[in-house]
Amino acid sequence: MNVARDNILGRVRAALRVEARRPLAPTDAPVFPPVTDPEARFRSEFAALRGEIIENAGALRAFLNGFPKIATDGGELGGKIVGEPNASVRECDLGVTSCDYLIAQTGSIVVTTLSAGGRAVSVLPPVHLVIARREQIVPDLATAMALLRKRYDKRWPSALSIITGPSRTGDIEKILVMGAHGPKRLVLYFVD
Amino acid sequence: MRVALFIPCFIDQLYPNVGIAMVTVLRRLKVDVYYPAEQTCCGQPAFNTGYWDEARALARRYVDIFADADAIVSPSGSCTAMVRNFYPELLGKATNATVHTYEFAEFLVKRLGVTDVGARFPQRVTYHDSCHALRELRLKDEPRQLLRKVQGLELVEMDQAETCCGFGGTFAVKFPMISYAMDDVKVTSIQKTGAQYVVSTDSSCLMQIDGYLRRVNLPIKTISLAEVLAST
Amino acid sequence: MTPTLRQFEHDATAMADDLRLRAVIQKNIGTYDIAVAKGRTRFADWQNARSRAAAAKWETINHLDRYLEQFERNVLANGGHVFWAETAQDAREHVLQLARRHGVLKVVKSKSMTTEEIHLNDALQEAGIHTVETDLGEYICQLRGEHPYHIVTPVMHLSKADIARTFQEKLGAPLTDSAEELTMIARAKLRHEFLTADMGITGGNFAIADTGMIALTENEGNARLTFSMPRVHVAIVGIEKLIPRFEDLALFWPLLADSGTGQALTAYSSLIGGPRQEREADGPREFHVILLDNGRTRLLADAEQRDALHCIRCGACLNVCPVYKNIGGHAYGTTYQGPIGSVITPHLRDAREWSHLPYASSLCGACTDVCPLRIELHHHLLHNRRNAVRRRFDNVVQRFIFRAWLCAMQSPARYAIAAKLGVLALRLGWAGPLLKPWTDRRDFPAPPKQSFRDYWRKHERGA
Repeated sequence: MNVARDNILGRVRAALRVEARRPLAPTDAPVFPPVTDPEARFRSEFAALRGEIIENAGALRAFLNGFPKIATDGGELGGKIVGEPNASVRECDLGVTSCDYLIAQTGSIVVTTLSAGGRAVSVLPPVHLVIARREQIVPDLATAMALLRKRYDKRWPSALSIITGPSRTGDIEKILVMGAHGPKRLVLYFVD
Repeated sequence: MRVALFIPCFIDQLYPNVGIAMVTVLRRLKVDVYYPAEQTCCGQPAFNTGYWDEARALARRYVDIFADADAIVSPSGSCTAMVRNFYPELLGKATNATVHTYEFAEFLVKRLGVTDVGARFPQRVTYHDSCHALRELRLKDEPRQLLRKVQGLELVEMDQAETCCGFGGTFAVKFPMISYAMDDVKVTSIQKTGAQYVVSTDSSCLMQIDGYLRRVNLPIKTISLAEVLAST
Repeated sequence: MTPTLRQFEHDATAMADDLRLRAVIQKNIGTYDIAVAKGRTRFADWQNARSRAAAAKWETINHLDRYLEQFERNVLANGGHVFWAETAQDAREHVLQLARRHGVLKVVKSKSMTTEEIHLNDALQEAGIHTVETDLGEYICQLRGEHPYHIVTPVMHLSKADIARTFQEKLGAPLTDSAEELTMIARAKLRHEFLTADMGITGGNFAIADTGMIALTENEGNARLTFSMPRVHVAIVGIEKLIPRFEDLALFWPLLADSGTGQALTAYSSLIGGPRQEREADGPREFHVILLDNGRTRLLADAEQRDALHCIRCGACLNVCPVYKNIGGHAYGTTYQGPIGSVITPHLRDAREWSHLPYASSLCGACTDVCPLRIELHHHLLHNRRNAVRRRFDNVVQRFIFRAWLCAMQSPARYAIAAKLGVLALRLGWAGPLLKPWTDRRDFPAPPKQSFRDYWRKHERGA
């Protein structure tokens, strides 16, 4: 039925009749050092990436006052904190979402279309505010991947992103510039 | 232990003093050496250019000529790599001769366990890592250990010590413009050290560097590690 | 000499002599080197990370049929479509067909070397579809009508001033020497394109067999916008991009980010596993994956060089290559530059036409040492050369020279005579056409009075 498919798979099978030399076997030695204090590690990695953390409710109110047009993921957590959205994602100047996990090892934030209200709201707005709980911090990427599998293996969301700092580029003379296309600022607020 | 000398063809023809210096040092260390006169070339020029059948014929010669040697020592990381790393691929197996071929500095440090050979060379030198010694034979520290024990010698590292000089055998004549640019990068790095001498395990690299230095009249000389170690 | 080789020699010579350009590249790679050295300290055991990645990729590539079928099944189950493209033309035509079916007027693209390989932009533009590269570097390339200079860093060869002039000429932007201002000019221009494009086209850094997902690695957010905003998302991936499991990314993502830019992870590591679902707020209505062969099965059939398909396109071998540093990316004339490009291009394209590239290397081996997949690149270059000679892509003169040379080297007597003749020629100042390219710009050593073997015969015989 599908000639190209059959041709390609046929060529692949023919090619693989001869096995390639096996590479050096890996050892059991861990590839990454263990993460000890996950929250402290997350904070230091996140800060190094130029992520910002809002430490208390007062600071959050002050921060939100700077953004007249806010879009949210429509989730419960965001609603409780910032109230109803008053702008569409295309017009807002702040996008507010939840997330799945925070990764201590790399200072990353894991968002999926389900945890963060689709694809656009966590990448299109000029500033992205993530509302998270401290319990969402996991030690490393491998743990996050294993938990994602557990959570979604029955039915995966159509897209997920591991966000590691605000958007950036080094394309011009390797000079670091923030906010190439995605959010220029990535802000995190922990709820209790 | 009797040690066979493997003197690669261009050392034989262009840099005999490097071979003689190696013999001098080995004798100073009371090593019994002999030179199988039937040896010619290891076949690397053919091998690197893609003529593996031709190279294989010379590989067979080599493993026959050196079949009974306890150890084979050569003042060239490049030709040693050819024998030890690439002959097994050409011949389908490692043999006594391929396994027991050593680059000179490697032989001194790893096989004899010697780092001080009683040399004196009161000059400021910088060391050039030949690619084959560094990345095929993994000799990074051994030549430097030997140099550090040379009386009066001051070793100054260059920032591009591990960068290829641009020789690469037929590469240097097939793509002279690229080879020259690489030579240029190397010499610039050498100059920055203020060294009077560039030392290396490999005379082919030194020929490439020296050819440039002399053409532009720079007051820096090249010298093989063997010759430094033979100096008193 | 083929026109391709002539062009290569011409371009490589021009680049190697361009000291300004060499300095720009050196500065760029110098910054990369510092970042990578720092990033490497994040690993407890980078060598073992390489071994694990090589083992995982070996498993995939050597059972590729199985993983391709598994991948396809999962993409279909997720509501996506899979198209198998045997050639570049098949892939281009399928994209055009999709564009026509969806009434696409504008396409946004995120950085993809695979789409470069199949010359997709030209095909789209010829069909009257406005096509915009959105990665900053690629956007600059597109404005200048150039191909990427480097698989990871497309405008490595340009200074801020070069880019400012391009923006002035092509966009009417005011001149600036601020990288930030230049970036903001591009951001503003491209934002509008994201919001009005009908189709988003991406490549794929990895294709995950057991979940039917495409993984994309980027820093700018343009890939995320490309697969989020338009109605249709098309991902074009080579069949070698498969990895078995979702969890394998916990190794491959950091490994790629580290070797690519010295980052722990790039700003956005994304996975796309289908079109918008009914439970989701937004996203494309359709998701298409094009699995591209285009010569890859030829490389696969060469068991000796098969592991060149393990490459994850991190660019580390380019950055460390003294040839790349001196001739730059454009001189190669290929989609994939540097050591990996020289290894695979003779397989992916015409083997005879590109047989010179494996020779354009001093075989220094620096590439092999930095490859996160442990691909023995410089040994592969030797295999390429041997294969070229076997297939008689060499020239007759060279073949004759090596035959004659072998004849001399097989006997010490003939060797001695040949050597004497050579030395005599040198004494007479006749370096010959063989050495001339070298001696043009260097002094050849004066031949010694006697060879080592003569010395030994005189002084040592019987000693």
